[in-house]
Amino acid sequence: MIISSMCFLLWSSPATIVSTMVEASSGALKLSIDLCAVYAVWLGVLELVDASGLGEKLAKLLHPLIKKLFKIDNNEIEKMIALNMSANMLGLGNAATPMGINAMKALDDGSGVANTAMIMLIVINATSIQLLPSTVIGLRASAGSTAPADIIFPTIIATAVTSICGVCLVKLFSKIKRRKK
Amino acid sequence: MSAYIIPILFVALFSYCYIKKINTYDTFVKGAKKSISLVVDIFPFIATIMIAVALLRASGITAILAGLLSPVFNLLGIPAELIELVLLRPFTGAGSYGLLESVLLEYGPDSYISRCACVILGCSETIFYVATVYFSQTKVKKLLYAIPVALICALVGSIIACLLCKVI
Repeated sequence: MIISSMCFLLWSSPATIVSTMVEASSGALKLSIDLCAVYAVWLGVLELVDASGLGEKLAKLLHPLIKKLFKIDNNEIEKMIALNMSANMLGLGNAATPMGINAMKALDDGSGVANTAMIMLIVINATSIQLLPSTVIGLRASAGSTAPADIIFPTIIATAVTSICGVCLVKLFSKIKRRKK
Repeated sequence: MSAYIIPILFVALFSYCYIKKINTYDTFVKGAKKSISLVVDIFPFIATIMIAVALLRASGITAILAGLLSPVFNLLGIPAELIELVLLRPFTGAGSYGLLESVLLEYGPDSYISRCACVILGCSETIFYVATVYFSQTKVKKLLYAIPVALICALVGSIIACLLCKVI
């Protein structure tokens, strides 16, 4: 992907290659600093949720769902996934990330190949049910929309369909894989 | 309304911790401390994927792809104006929000095109970014079918988004 776009640029405008790369990288640095601030808030809150025992309660609440989806039996990981999913539902993608990374680390079996639970976690995060698409509504409002929030309903339906579709596809693929073995 | 949800949850959480006699300050600091090492760990991955996306866009490959794919997207009911958005969405969050803004300005925020764009963004995620960051701290090299499944779902979501905006 990188090579093909480089070849393309080499032919059209070679002077822009390095500047584009550096520009993107500095954008990444700015994003990382923003993320660091956001993560500091959410990881602090997360630590509190954990210490107060609320994390466990949440995990218990989502336990049937998580067990069905991930087929795991580990309280620590379940807690992480429960928090990750709740943050996603609230539209807090950035808050969900650190918890997702922790869950992913805990799910890693060191074999170098993603297992079904890891794939399920990625797909759920990629299609996550968003109850409040707050950024989009904000952008629409600032563009002068008369009813900026009227996209909530279609968004919830669309996102619910993609989540169900994702879960079914992962289940299907993991079954095919098992049969092959 | 939605502006209140998170602050209220925060107040509730802090009060709950107070009642439970947890050392709120120390616990929060302990968690916040982890953010620096986390960001240091994932920065190289973020930088690499953003450089790759920037090169792709600068080279004009995405625009050419959009042109090539327009008959297919047409068949699926996705307006030609939104193809670049659908194609870039899995790669870049900031980039796709930038695109959404230009769509909103160009077609007016209450037009069919703009509403489709909003729902498409609302129901999808930056798949490649999420996958890179989430897997960055594991030893996993083979993602198997994770990315294709996520991409198929994103496409299904876009089709449904365009359908729903026509009906509702």
